Amino acid sequence: MKFSINKPPKVIAGYTNWRKKLILMLLMGSLGILGVSLVCLNFGVVSIHPKEILSLVWNSSSGKTNSLIIWQLRIPRITMAILAGAALSTVGGAFQGILRNPLADPYILGVSAGAALGACIGIALQYSTGYYLASYLPLFAFTGAMFSLYLVYMSSKISYTLASTGLLLAGVAINFLFSALITVLLALSKRELHSMIFWLMGDLSTANWNKITIITIPVIVGCLFLFSSSLDLNALSLGEEEALHLGVNTGKLRIRIFIIGSIIIASVVSFTGLIGFVGLVVPHIARLLVGPDHRVMLPTSALFGAIFLILCDTFARIIIAPTEIPIGAVTAIVGAPLFIYLLQRRNV
Amino acid sequence: MSFPETILKIEEVNFSYNDYQKTLSNINFSVSRGELLGIIGPNGSGKTTLLKIISGILKPGKGNIFLLGENLNKFSIKKISKFISVVPQDTWISFNFKAKEVVFMGRIPYISRIKGETVEDYRISREAMVKTQSLPLSEKNIQKISGGERQRVFIAKALTQTPQLLLLDEFTSHLDLNYKYEMLNLLKKALKEEGLTIISVFHDLNLASIASHRLLLLNEGKIQKIGTPQEVLNEENLQKAYGVKPILINHPDLKVPQVIM
Repeated sequence: MKFSINKPPKVIAGYTNWRKKLILMLLMGSLGILGVSLVCLNFGVVSIHPKEILSLVWNSSSGKTNSLIIWQLRIPRITMAILAGAALSTVGGAFQGILRNPLADPYILGVSAGAALGACIGIALQYSTGYYLASYLPLFAFTGAMFSLYLVYMSSKISYTLASTGLLLAGVAINFLFSALITVLLALSKRELHSMIFWLMGDLSTANWNKITIITIPVIVGCLFLFSSSLDLNALSLGEEEALHLGVNTGKLRIRIFIIGSIIIASVVSFTGLIGFVGLVVPHIARLLVGPDHRVMLPTSALFGAIFLILCDTFARIIIAPTEIPIGAVTAIVGAPLFIYLLQRRNV
Repeated sequence: MSFPETILKIEEVNFSYNDYQKTLSNINFSVSRGELLGIIGPNGSGKTTLLKIISGILKPGKGNIFLLGENLNKFSIKKISKFISVVPQDTWISFNFKAKEVVFMGRIPYISRIKGETVEDYRISREAMVKTQSLPLSEKNIQKISGGERQRVFIAKALTQTPQLLLLDEFTSHLDLNYKYEMLNLLKKALKEEGLTIISVFHDLNLASIASHRLLLLNEGKIQKIGTPQEVLNEENLQKAYGVKPILINHPDLKVPQVIM
C-alpha cells in the first residue's frame, strides 16, 4: 500500500461514487412515490376534499364512508400499483441483463403466457361449471405461470446453445404455444370473453390488503435478491466469455435470475393480470438517467416503475370516469410513444 | 534466458467440439514465469480453442492442465479469474458503459458482494488506464469508440484484474503502429518487473517473432513445432503449415526472423 494509514484518500480522480448516485435516486424516488400517491389519492368517483384526505391518511378514523374509500379502496390500489410497477420494472431490467437484449421484458420468458392461460382456464371453468371461482383465479394463474416456468427451463436445458439464446428461444416458443391455447379459449368463449380480455389487459381495481400482503414478500425479497446480483449482471454485459473470465458463473446466474424473476412476476400478474410495457420501457428510462450500472439502474427502475404505474392507473380510472379502461392499455398508450421517443434520441 | 518457475503445464490435452473431428490432439507444453509464449498457426488450427481451454471456459476431453502445480479441474472459475485474465479479439457489449466502468470491472473477482469495492480497487484500475494510455477515454461510451481504442480499454481491464497469467487473442489486430509499439513495451516491462506471464495468439508472424521468447506453431490441432523464433520460423515449418513458400530475412536490430511476401 502506498497510502499512509492516517490519511487514506477517499476519492480517486475520475471515479464517481455509485453509492452517492444510488442514495440520491432512492431519496428522490421515495419522495416522488409519496408525492404522486398523495396527489393521486384525490382522484376518484367520490370527490373528497384534499384537506380531509390528508387528515384521513394521518389518522384513519374508522367507520366513516370517506375513511373507508381512502383506506379500503384508494390506498390499497395505489399500494398495489407501487408493488406491481416496481416488480415489473426490476425484473424487466434484470431480464434485459441476462438476455443481453434491450428488447426483453418480464414477459418474454413465457411466465406471463402461463399465468394468462391459467387465469383463462379458471374463468372458463367458472362459467361452464357455475361454481364461483373468482377468488381462486390468482391460484389458477400462479399454477399456470409455474407450469410455463418449468417448461421453459426444461426446454432451455435441451438446447445446445451455451449462451442466452437458448433460454430466449425456449421462452418465445412457450409464449407462442400458450398464446395459441388462449386464442382457442377466447374463440370458444361467449359470456366470459369480457372477463378474459380484462384479465389479459391488466386490472388493479380488485386490489385489497389481503392480496397486497400475499405479494409483498415475494416482490421485496425477490427484488432484493436481483439487486444483489447487479455486479454479476454488469460483468455479463461484456459478453458471456468475458463474464466467465471475471469469475462469474453465467449459466447459474442466468437460471437463478430467470427463476426468481419469474416467481416475482407470477405472484404479481396472478393478482393484477398482464400489465404490459412497464417492464420494457422503465429500465430504459432509468438507464438513460443513471447509466447502465445495474447497482444503481435496477433500484432506480423499481422506483420509477412504481411512479409510472400509479400515474397510469390514475389515468385509467379518471379518463372516461366512471368507466375504467384496462391499465394495460394505458401503459402501452403512454409507454409506446415514450419508447419511440427514447429510441430516436439515443440508441437504446 | 532462463525461467525457473513453471506457471502452466499442459499434459496430453485433447479436445473436440463434436464426435467427428478433433480440434486439438496431444498438446504438451509448459510456460514459465516471466515468459511470453506466442501461438501461431493457420486459420482453424485451434489457437483460440487452446486459449479457451487454458482459461477454463472449455474443459479438455482428455489430459490435464496444471496452474502453479495444481490441477485446473480443482479451480472454480472464480479462483481462475484471480490468476488468469484474458483480452478477447473483440467483444460486443450490450449496454453503453463508460470506458472507465469497463476497466473497473476487472476488479469484480476481488470485490466483496457485501462490503463493496475499496479505494485500492480504484487505484489499481486507474493505474492500468494510465499504463495503457486509455485514461483520456475514461468518460467515453464503450460502444462508440473505435476498435483500437476498445482494445486498449480491454488490455487495461485485463491488467486491472492483476493476473499472474495474461492470455491475449490477437490483441494488436486493431491497434495503430504507435500503440502496437507501446503495448509491446508495456507488456515486456510487466513480464520483467511484475513477474507476469503471457500467452498470446498472433496473426502477424513478424510481430510474433519480435515479441515472443518462444513460439508454438499449431497445425491442424497438433503442435507442429515449439521453440525460439529462430527454430520455428524457417522455410520448412512455414511451408508445411501455411502451404506457401515464404521469404525469410533477419531483423536488422533484433536478429529474429521476419517473413516477407
